[in-house]
Amino acid sequence: MTDKEIVKGEEVTLEIKPGMNILEVNKQLAQKNKELLQKHNVKAIDIMGSIGAGKTSLIEQLVQALKQKYRIAVFKGDLTTTIDAERIGRHGVKVVTINTGLECHLDANVVARAVERISLQDIDLLIIENVGNLICPAEFPLGTEKRVVVVSVTEGPYMVLKHPFTFMTADVMVVNKKDLAEIMKIDTNQLAKQAKDIKPDMKFAITNALTGEGIEDLIKALEL
Amino acid sequence: MHELAMATQLVENVLEEAKRYEAKKVAEVHLTIGKLTFLGIEQMRFSYDILTKDTIMKDSKLIITEQDGVIECQSCGYKGKVPIEDDPAYHVPVPTLRCPKCGEAARIVEGKECTITSIRVLKQQECKDDCKRCC
Repeated sequence: MTDKEIVKGEEVTLEIKPGMNILEVNKQLAQKNKELLQKHNVKAIDIMGSIGAGKTSLIEQLVQALKQKYRIAVFKGDLTTTIDAERIGRHGVKVVTINTGLECHLDANVVARAVERISLQDIDLLIIENVGNLICPAEFPLGTEKRVVVVSVTEGPYMVLKHPFTFMTADVMVVNKKDLAEIMKIDTNQLAKQAKDIKPDMKFAITNALTGEGIEDLIKALEL
Repeated sequence: MHELAMATQLVENVLEEAKRYEAKKVAEVHLTIGKLTFLGIEQMRFSYDILTKDTIMKDSKLIITEQDGVIECQSCGYKGKVPIEDDPAYHVPVPTLRCPKCGEAARIVEGKECTITSIRVLKQQECKDDCKRCC
């Protein structure tokens, strides 16, 4: 819609008011993904966290623990490689790699494209591993029911306090590599408390994704 | 970090609007960015200048207004600014979604936008009759 026209010689200045929210485009696509997944009774989880936080190892543990109960598919966001996809694929579940090239996050559009490559009738649980990055993925909801943020104790004591807006977008927080907490002089409960101060309804699991310790707590927190 | 992607979408949308109104030049773009987004204003400007270089948006002004974050509590109905928790143990003030009135978890209702509020374009004046100036 245009608002006013100012005549100035032969030129006209026109004020256009699009009121267009660029981020809303992703949000609307996410909503579509959500509706499509719900229609097929597929539970979906988005897992975000820094590079090396242990997202893939956690997914391997989740798949191992849940593959009898659910028919699972995994979307694996990665810049260019399929290394992680192969790791998860060894557990006998369908894996779709989403190579983002140089993009720092997954968005609802690439997830919608990946959904087209699987048959939703054949799965009950979709786990999406986001690109290793604690900041950008938080901006882009994908249409999942739940969002998990993974931090590992090796990332230091200030991960939560430094990224409050990321933690605001998550439902479940995993503190991973608990076996290294003492060496790193990190109080895992303190990290959890900080996240709870930022997001009062946050749920938690303190894990060691290599051994599977704490995975049951994560499954409970995800209500799976 | 994803300012380039956002700026690309911004430029595409503005050019589309400008084309729709048959503009020959874009003079100003007004953008509102929410403080709860992860968009850096300097990086947006940097990307904008690069992306507009070879278009009718070249040298246009990008005017950015920041929008404060607003939360709403579904338990007690509180609506207001994002509260800041100033626990001395943290050494830094930390924003929280805890409702300052009842302590329940509130949700974000404003501050996550990146909205093109208005665009000023230059357009050749339409010639209504035989003016002999341009026809």
